Amino acid sequence: MKRDPLGLLALPGVGYLALVFLAPLLLLLWSSVRGPEGWTLDGYVRLLGDPYYRGVIAASLQLALITTGGALLLGYPAAFALARARGGWQVVLFALIFLPLTVSIIVKSFGWGIVLRRDGILNWALLNLGLIERPVRMIFTEGALYAGMINVFLPFMVLPIFAVVRMLDPRLPDAAATLGASPWFSFRRVTLPLSLPGVVAGVSLVFSLSVAAYVTPSLLMGDRYMTMSMVMAKAFLNLRDWQLGAAMAAVLLAMALAVVVGAAALQRRLGGR
Amino acid sequence: MNDQHLAVRGASKRFGTASVLDDLSLAVARGEFVSLLGPSGCGKTTLLRCIAGLLRLDAGSIAVAGRDISALPAHRRNVGVVFQNYALFPHLTVAQNIGFGLRAQGVRAAEAAPRIAEALALVRMAEFADRPVTALSGGQQQRVAVARALVVRPTLLLLDEPFSALDRKLRETMQVELKHLLREVGITAIFVTHDQEEALVVSDRIAVMNAGRIEQLADPATLYQRPASLYVLDFVGQSMRLGGTVSAAGLGEVTVETRLGTVRAPGAFAPGSRVVVAVRPEAVTLTETPPGGRNTLAARVSEVSFLGSRTQLHLDLPAGEDRGVVELPRLPPGIGPGSAVPLAFPIADTMVFPAA
Amino acid sequence: MERLGRWLSGGALALVILFLLLPILVVIPVSFTEAPVFRFPPEGFSLQWYEKIGRVDGLLGAIGLSARLALLATVISLLLGTLCAIALVRGVVPGAAAVSAFMLSPLMLPGLVLGIAMLQALREVGLRDAWWSLLLAHVVITLPFVMRTVLASLSLFDFGMVDAARTLGCSYPVALWRVLVPNILPGFVSGALFAFIASFDNYPVSMFLVDVRTKTLPIQLLNYLEISPDPTLAAVSTCLIALTVAILLLCDRLVGLRRLAPV
Repeated sequence: MKRDPLGLLALPGVGYLALVFLAPLLLLLWSSVRGPEGWTLDGYVRLLGDPYYRGVIAASLQLALITTGGALLLGYPAAFALARARGGWQVVLFALIFLPLTVSIIVKSFGWGIVLRRDGILNWALLNLGLIERPVRMIFTEGALYAGMINVFLPFMVLPIFAVVRMLDPRLPDAAATLGASPWFSFRRVTLPLSLPGVVAGVSLVFSLSVAAYVTPSLLMGDRYMTMSMVMAKAFLNLRDWQLGAAMAAVLLAMALAVVVGAAALQRRLGGR
Repeated sequence: MNDQHLAVRGASKRFGTASVLDDLSLAVARGEFVSLLGPSGCGKTTLLRCIAGLLRLDAGSIAVAGRDISALPAHRRNVGVVFQNYALFPHLTVAQNIGFGLRAQGVRAAEAAPRIAEALALVRMAEFADRPVTALSGGQQQRVAVARALVVRPTLLLLDEPFSALDRKLRETMQVELKHLLREVGITAIFVTHDQEEALVVSDRIAVMNAGRIEQLADPATLYQRPASLYVLDFVGQSMRLGGTVSAAGLGEVTVETRLGTVRAPGAFAPGSRVVVAVRPEAVTLTETPPGGRNTLAARVSEVSFLGSRTQLHLDLPAGEDRGVVELPRLPPGIGPGSAVPLAFPIADTMVFPAA
Repeated sequence: MERLGRWLSGGALALVILFLLLPILVVIPVSFTEAPVFRFPPEGFSLQWYEKIGRVDGLLGAIGLSARLALLATVISLLLGTLCAIALVRGVVPGAAAVSAFMLSPLMLPGLVLGIAMLQALREVGLRDAWWSLLLAHVVITLPFVMRTVLASLSLFDFGMVDAARTLGCSYPVALWRVLVPNILPGFVSGALFAFIASFDNYPVSMFLVDVRTKTLPIQLLNYLEISPDPTLAAVSTCLIALTVAILLLCDRLVGLRRLAPV
């Protein structure tokens, strides 16, 4: 094959990522099975053998599942309302959902703390409404963590679903109605299946982001709720236990990859019909 | 034909401040094919959506087979619709698309299967049953859309620009094919179209719509030969039309002075009225010595178009009210752009309208 | 039923927006408080916390460092990313789909894993300088953002327009400059702005690469939050929010917000 000179322009970028991104990841995976005395599965054995670490993995998965479920529950109907909004309104509403994505996660977690504090805005509002008599402890509770996580990752659910729903032909529900389909039947048989590619994209994105979350859980819960990312960071920074940290990183990487690849396969099946 | 199958009475619909349907009434007999013809924005699609129940009327009523359906939602009306671009369900196969309505209405699978097969056979799509609809050509998609709408045995079929997605050649074949198929099924059908040729081909009667009202409702021949207004004249077919002033009137005939000469036509206008006289292109012949009962005018040719079975002459007329198209079975020798031609046409075929 | 659906989804949208904006909007009033705590409602009005930004040790330095880092990483990414996008759209690249997936893949991976991997690799090769480590890593973070928008606008561009310009008397380079550049500029600029934000806000990768003297703004903010939480943080946050809103408005003027959606 003749070398295409334009194709060579890809080399610097690809080379950079191969060297600075791919090589370190491979090195990390390699070091998770390579100890001072040669090949070892020590990191993995300790990770999966210790009930504490198994609990951490379960807690991370639980957190990711609840975050994804909550975001889907709120985000799915919201995406439809956003797609239905007209012209200028749609741009404004879109911007309001998009803006939080670009605001620093530190700022958001800090703001969320102000909302939930004993003398914060939520307690203040509930007191003034007469719903509670004295401030309720909300910060550092699991409920606050779930709410904070959903808050951070919700736009990643709304936007992909919106992108799909926006392109749905509005005449399809009309066609279903003229064929005698009730609104509920038409939603189940037409709208829902056609919106699934967006749901798959949103769910996979939110799940893979939230299962690896670090900043939000550590700011909102500290050491009270250990996630895989927190254990990994601790293993590297405090314990200097590289074997364990690298094994945890490998597990996390495998999960993220599995979700991305699985979602892509599902998308292809949904799109291929 | 006083067997009224569809009766629309006093229908009005506004979007904001714009009145889209304006106290419109329409009656269609059982088994009749009626076209709603008009430019975009005339309200024809709105009327169709109101009949289907996809929009609610602000005022007026719609009855099918003597039953008032105005208050029913779309899914309880049993009115079939073939949508523009068909609106087939992209995630379902051909057979699933056709079976959708049966399933929605709770028809059991055992009973639905033969009906789906029958519908597939009706539109000659049996061998495509398990294909995804996205893999079909435009003509095939149209047939699936028709089968999907017919399989639930609707009381009335509405078709919204059903041929607009097809290329010209296929469109002409499908128009005749679909008309024949619907006639066989014996259904009452309403076509919405902006294409006057299509309306002439597919319908028993045509309703020409303008600004939310029906300007004229008549069979194609009447509509073409006796248009009720300048609007209908212009929308259906071509014509030569000249602005002028009535100089004399009497005995059901008027004499009009136009830029090209004096024209007589059947009609009743007071002398001094501003009018437009018009004649269909094929009524005009080129002759200096016509038989009696004809108008004669002298004009100049600006352009000649050969159309195969006939030839069109475009006349050199000043801008404004006047426009001139004349059709001849064959072009006499020596006539081309710039030639002076003598025009003759029967007085009986000359139409007069009040100037707009 | 249909109306119920509309009502429910409209309600969900209102709730979503309120919920998303709440933690962002609360920091603004708190930054103007007179009290040294975050209490709500804030008491009085003062600009003291904004003045304090300059006096807090290392905060201004961190802002400067983060800005320099984000700027430089973005420029390098623009260079590498645009060349690569041109090659993928116009050239013959074996396995082009896989290559473009690879170029976007740093977005999909947990940032923390990337940070650790880089820390380990840099130690392996003996690079201990925090600034250079951060720069190398932040180019990896920013590159996908640039790739995505430039790829999208290049593949939407109709190269027939360049031919049209050439038949109208432009030389090839002039045709590129007058037709191609204005058309892909919006994608270029918005990609750059998002890359800048991504670098400026990054925490999970940077946390492994900073040292005592070289700290990026998010790291410094989090440290400060742990040591002496006071409304200075709200003041800095308000400034950051104002900056992002300004960038978003700029993007909207350039390309229209909807085309920017990162997902």
